[in-house]
Amino acid sequence: MMTYIVFILSVIFVVSFVGFSSKPSPIYGGLVLIVSGGVGCGIIMNFGGSFLGLMVFLIYLGGMLVVFGYTTAMATEQYPEVWVSNTTVMGVFLLGLLMEVMLVLYVLKGEEVGVVFKFSGVGDWAIYDTGDSGVFSEEIMGVAALYSYGAWVVIVTGWSLLVGVLVILEVTRGD
Amino acid sequence: MNPLIFTTILMTVLLGTMIVMTSSHWLMIWIGFEMNLLAIIPILMKKYNPRTMEASTKYFLTQATASMLLMMAIIINLMHSGQWTITKVFNPTASIIMTSALAMKLGLTPFHFWVPEVTQGISLTSGLILLTWQKLAPMSILYQISPSINLNILLTMAVLSILVGGWGGLNQTQLRKIMAYSSIAHMGWMTAVLVYNPTLTMLNMLIYIMMTLTMFMLFIHSSSTTTLSLSHTWNKTPLTTTLILITLLSMGGLPPLSGFMPKWMIIQELTKNSSIILPTLMAIMALLNLYFYMRLTYSTSLTMFPSTNNMKMKWQFETKRITLLPPLIVMSSLLLPLTPMLSILD
Repeated sequence: MMTYIVFILSVIFVVSFVGFSSKPSPIYGGLVLIVSGGVGCGIIMNFGGSFLGLMVFLIYLGGMLVVFGYTTAMATEQYPEVWVSNTTVMGVFLLGLLMEVMLVLYVLKGEEVGVVFKFSGVGDWAIYDTGDSGVFSEEIMGVAALYSYGAWVVIVTGWSLLVGVLVILEVTRGD
Repeated sequence: MNPLIFTTILMTVLLGTMIVMTSSHWLMIWIGFEMNLLAIIPILMKKYNPRTMEASTKYFLTQATASMLLMMAIIINLMHSGQWTITKVFNPTASIIMTSALAMKLGLTPFHFWVPEVTQGISLTSGLILLTWQKLAPMSILYQISPSINLNILLTMAVLSILVGGWGGLNQTQLRKIMAYSSIAHMGWMTAVLVYNPTLTMLNMLIYIMMTLTMFMLFIHSSSTTTLSLSHTWNKTPLTTTLILITLLSMGGLPPLSGFMPKWMIIQELTKNSSIILPTLMAIMALLNLYFYMRLTYSTSLTMFPSTNNMKMKWQFETKRITLLPPLIVMSSLLLPLTPMLSILD
């Protein structure tokens, strides 16, 4: 099972995405986001990125999602929508689940899967430890490179976040 | 809106387009598109009524979907070529997805449905920014990937856009919807020649922006958003009726005016590449466009449009000072003799 751990985690990832895109109440969406965040962290860690995975848990789940949970709890309604409360929501969830199950069976059975692009069966997801990149871990180097060579990206993303906040305030201000 | 915040948001719209136009990394281009989209939403929603909110929501949904498709095309391109630089898109699947994403951003058929509804729901100035500045970024990306675009898809979308832009505008009396359909048709002309000679796409974009800018400013000057309201300009400033006449005929592509230049060059380029039926069809469908422009000129400058007696006087608001209106009008009508200067666009 450990060889195919990334495959299993990515299936859970997609299922939890289906869970919140079938639009239950935001609280349940947040619940499923926690699961998908944790599973995503697992996927990143399997590729060797322990720092980024921990950052997902800390900043995304422990910071942003907590604030989201509190604001949704303040703005919630008396009977929030669950997945089984509304026919539409349940229908969409089951449809997404069905499509994922069919895709998984297709991948598990066959050699090549060619939906939009080809990948050769489950083997493509197994992690092979391909050589050492020396003393340094690659992904910490990536983060370091973001702040040195990629200073322009940091400036642009920082500016977008600031403007995002301004835009949200403008839009929700009303008259 | 607080002037400082408004300036910041407007500068971010400009910054987003600049990032798209000057980046060499696909991820930065996507970031530029998203920044552009995010910052233009409050500009579209300048007045807070349900109409503008609905229009900005529609705009956001379509553009966000297009950005997602663009991201998917970028990732497929990454998978197959292993690099992030903007050159040709090496994989045909990625190229088709990217072309559809950029067509959604521009408003080409079959993704044109948002253009009239969004343009109608927002104020005239916001509509101006929407139909001119927002077309620059996707068109620059199309220009850069033009060697690898699937010709059949692009030409089908272009011809259908010209047809829809001409045909759809026929039943309209609201000026913003007329300008929206005109935008769809012009985008069709621009993308038709993209694969053959991208310089002409840029020329058409330049002239289209000038003419649309002029038209919108003339509408803002007379504060009119319907044909009926525009037909009262003889009462307020009789000079603008002549200017509206000239600019509208230029938009329709009539010869001595500058709107003829891109159409002429495009038809010439297409016939040089041995396609005869296509430019004939395009020229015939541009006549539909010309028809509703002529209807506007007929009601505005050529006749005194019938209306009840108490509506004949237009309320004299303080005249808006519109910068650059006279030079724009001159440029959008008299540029035809400068056609040999086309070579500087290379």
